[in-house]
Amino acid sequence: MNVPLTHLLTLAGGLFFIGIWCAVTRRNLIMVMLGIEIMLNAAALAFVGASLRWQQMEGQAVALFVLAIAAAEVSVGLALIICIYRRYRTLDPAKVQ
Amino acid sequence: MMWQQFTPELYHFAAALLFTALSMTRRVDNRRDYWVALSLAGGGLIVCLAAVRAEGLLFLNTYKVDLFAQLFKVLLSMGLFLVVALCSELNGVARRWHSEFYLLLFTCTLAMMLLVSSVHLISIYVSLELSSYSLYVLVALRRDAAMGTQAALRYFLIGIFSSAIMLFGLALLYAATGLTYLSDLVQVLPGVIDQPLVLVAVVLTLGGFFFKLALFPFHFWAPDVYVGAPNQLAAFIATASKVAAVAVLLRVVAATGGQETLLVDSLAALAIISMTVGNLAALVQKDFKRLLAYSSIAQAGYVLIGILCMSPEGADAAIFYALALLLMKFTCFLAVVKIAADGGNPSLDALAGLHRRSPLLALALMMAVFALAGIPPTIGFTAKLLVFSAAMHKGYLVLVLIAMFNVVISLYYYLLIVKAAYLTEPAVETPAPVLSLSARALTTALIIAIVVVGFYPNPLIVMARQASSSLF
Repeated sequence: MNVPLTHLLTLAGGLFFIGIWCAVTRRNLIMVMLGIEIMLNAAALAFVGASLRWQQMEGQAVALFVLAIAAAEVSVGLALIICIYRRYRTLDPAKVQ
Repeated sequence: MMWQQFTPELYHFAAALLFTALSMTRRVDNRRDYWVALSLAGGGLIVCLAAVRAEGLLFLNTYKVDLFAQLFKVLLSMGLFLVVALCSELNGVARRWHSEFYLLLFTCTLAMMLLVSSVHLISIYVSLELSSYSLYVLVALRRDAAMGTQAALRYFLIGIFSSAIMLFGLALLYAATGLTYLSDLVQVLPGVIDQPLVLVAVVLTLGGFFFKLALFPFHFWAPDVYVGAPNQLAAFIATASKVAAVAVLLRVVAATGGQETLLVDSLAALAIISMTVGNLAALVQKDFKRLLAYSSIAQAGYVLIGILCMSPEGADAAIFYALALLLMKFTCFLAVVKIAADGGNPSLDALAGLHRRSPLLALALMMAVFALAGIPPTIGFTAKLLVFSAAMHKGYLVLVLIAMFNVVISLYYYLLIVKAAYLTEPAVETPAPVLSLSARALTTALIIAIVVVGFYPNPLIVMARQASSSLF
């Protein structure tokens, strides 16, 4: 039995808002990036769910691309965060002035 | 052969590879890097011009080479060439990073070329991300590291946030329709655009492009990044990056095919807020680059009017506006780079007495500023006229009235620039900006282009019309 698309979209939407919540409220750069990663994964989940609904492989392929792009994003972001930590000795974005 | 249609991209990829190799050599030679970059960028412009008539579909039809894409590739390579031409005194970037700077500039141009040709959701997303990642690192390369990393952090956080929102929008679009090719979407979307799921999906998707164009509500990065980035890079972000964003927005908005829908209303609201916020904030700026950043937020609002018309005239106007923005903004940044020879951020006061120190530069700045304000007979006037008349054809009278009102507001701060350059006397005598012979030639060419295209825009309008015919 297939899970209906609406259930998957509800789950993905919930994850997406958890991600936004985490990215907007946390005072730590690593946690902000983590929140945005959750948002990306919510989108990947929605893609996989939709791919099941339409019986196509394209959604699955997008999910793989999202993984690769998220990895690239983390590498750029962590490099930047290390730069910032060396300079300011803090990970609080409000204190980077 | 398939790969011949892909020559401009391959060329820029090879150029980026060459700079990867140069960045690994032990000897730091800035003159060598500059001349290599300048000749490669010049060659890139020629390659793009030669490939302008290429047509075809590549990579399982995810990549469309047509006149629209090729025209924008010419604009992008022109932007790259002009920006590299400014890099002879690249004082805003530490000496040992110059070859990395060019490497990332070429990578970013490559990504934006991929972006304007993409007609599949994955290829659009991947190329958009590649161009953004290059820019995040480029901003952080500022020699004054405190300024660079702060701006890069802000750019990065807002950038990945908006791209995550865009990806979720793409996912919803796919969930609602089961389609990933723009050419399929254009046939289905007009019928279902009023469904809530589809509308939300399209609005979220456009968020990623609004970030690139620095449009409300994703405009917060622009002032800080313009100020924090090296001057030459700020010029690149203000010109080439905007041109690519206009191209991809045109393609995606045209694919929705919506007429008289909620989507048009929400785009119109965003255009109005963007230009009002940009113009009002620009009124009080003292830093020249920050003022230019707010002015480009406002200009993005005007471009969006052309895009939201979703008509051939609107698309022509937006393409023409992109070209005009490239020339006008570049000329302003040429002045920024030449005035701040040490790579710092010039304030408006630094312009004082420019007409005596360097009459040519002052004249170029005045023409560019008049064009941005939309004073005839400059390219900016023609561009605004095209955009507004396209909107009037669709009957968006209120939108055009508000835009006109905004143009009047913007006159105030644009004229402040001219006043600073022509009427204010400097408190302390500052040395005249050094303009080499080639810089003089470039400045003169820009002045001529701004005026002549304003007088005889017809050839370019005809070309824009041919390019936009593939959209509708």
